[in-house]
Amino acid sequence: MCIPDGDGGAFVAEVSALSFRPGSSVLHRLDVRFKTVFVILISLATLKAGIPGLFILTSVLSIGLIHAGLHLKSALRSLRYVFFFLVFVFMARSLSVSGSPVIEFKFITVTREGIFDGVLVCWRWVVVIMTGLSLILTTRPSEIRAAVEWALNPVPLIPGKRMATMMGLIVRFVPVIFEQAGETLAAQRARCVENRKNPVYRLKMFGIPLMRRIFERADKLALAMEARCYSENRASPRLSSDVWDWLALFGVVGLCFITVL
Amino acid sequence: MRDLIIEIKNVSHRFADGTMGLQNIDLDIREGTFVVIAGQNGSGKTTLLRHLNGLLMPTSGSVRLAGVPVSKNLAWSRQMVGMVFQDADSQIVGETVYDDVAFGPENLCLERNEIERRVFRALETVGLLEHKDQKPHLLSGGEKRRLAIAGILAMEPRILVFDEPFSSLDYPGVKKILTQMISLHQAGHTLLVAAHDLEKVIAHTDRLVIMNDGKVVRDGSPSQLIGELESFGIREPCASRMGMEVHSWLR
Repeated sequence: MCIPDGDGGAFVAEVSALSFRPGSSVLHRLDVRFKTVFVILISLATLKAGIPGLFILTSVLSIGLIHAGLHLKSALRSLRYVFFFLVFVFMARSLSVSGSPVIEFKFITVTREGIFDGVLVCWRWVVVIMTGLSLILTTRPSEIRAAVEWALNPVPLIPGKRMATMMGLIVRFVPVIFEQAGETLAAQRARCVENRKNPVYRLKMFGIPLMRRIFERADKLALAMEARCYSENRASPRLSSDVWDWLALFGVVGLCFITVL
Repeated sequence: MRDLIIEIKNVSHRFADGTMGLQNIDLDIREGTFVVIAGQNGSGKTTLLRHLNGLLMPTSGSVRLAGVPVSKNLAWSRQMVGMVFQDADSQIVGETVYDDVAFGPENLCLERNEIERRVFRALETVGLLEHKDQKPHLLSGGEKRRLAIAGILAMEPRILVFDEPFSSLDYPGVKKILTQMISLHQAGHTLLVAAHDLEKVIAHTDRLVIMNDGKVVRDGSPSQLIGELESFGIREPCASRMGMEVHSWLR
């Protein structure tokens, strides 16, 4: 096995740290439909949760993620850009919420209430990210696709199978797009594109060939799908739930109830 | 003598821009044959292969598989003819190796148990069973090509078509794909391989078809035609140029 070279390859390797990992943990064994409901319930509960509630949720999710085989170091490395976002949220909150000042410099005032609010909002975001991560790490993409199909099937005028296939193809195509972008960029750097300072020129020279290559790939993919008898009338993936899923639902509802109290 | 499995009768294909891709192709292929179609880039090899499963339709003439016109039942034709494209990467549609191999059988609306049986069997055949949960884009070039083969094997085709199967593969990759092709041929499949470099495959083939400018210009046994390759812009295998017998790459 190898990891593709170039910037795209590095990105692909990073993204893979946050994708499905085979395993036999409790989370792995749960039905994807239940897990999706858990994500929704826990995310809603975080909106109302205070510090004790968030502490409980973080502890439970951490245990679940470690049990599911999360590689903490690589996950943190992959999520490093999210931390910039959290820092931005924290700063925006601590500067915009009024209250008793902690730091004052000219017209900038950081308040105690702002810092508390910033910590709370960032912590909520972290819990939501951990919840999503626990779904992604323990569920095959095909099962998530199956759950989307299952959820959309009763909705009139929305073709569930087609939407699920589209979703699967997007998941499949994102690394390809980044790989293509990495290759295009590397090829242009090799011909000293950095010497051109005009950003419009550089964007044009990067964007047009990249789009052309992506469309060519999409065209080839469509042809390959056709060669393998693709049609909307396909065998649906098997989804099954048992008593453990219902027990887990009972547990998650209870957990959410405790955290919002 | 074995039955005819492919009958191509007077097939011509004109592209939308007016250029002729194929001109009056006549070709009959018997079941279980290993055929190599050789020609320069743009000679019409890929265009011809895409007529076998109805990805392209002839402007005139007909293509029959086991006596049935391709146009009559496209889904059946595509199940009958498994095609491995030149760019294996663009053939992969699944998020994991397992999902990709299951894509074809799912399209055939098979039962889940049958899909699983076929996927496991195909992955075992190409030696990728231990990678079943792997992301396809993290596989090496050779593994991706083997995955593409597994994807079509799971549809249980009788004819296997390979378009430039050795392009951009290293030596071990070539040997693995070649071994795979030979064992599939020995298992009774009909194999058609489009190639411009015959060095790697010619020792194993039963028949050589040379294409030039959209036409079949030579058709016969490899030993008869090997000396004529260079006149059609195809490199003669090294051993043959030196007056020796061409041996397998697997020796």
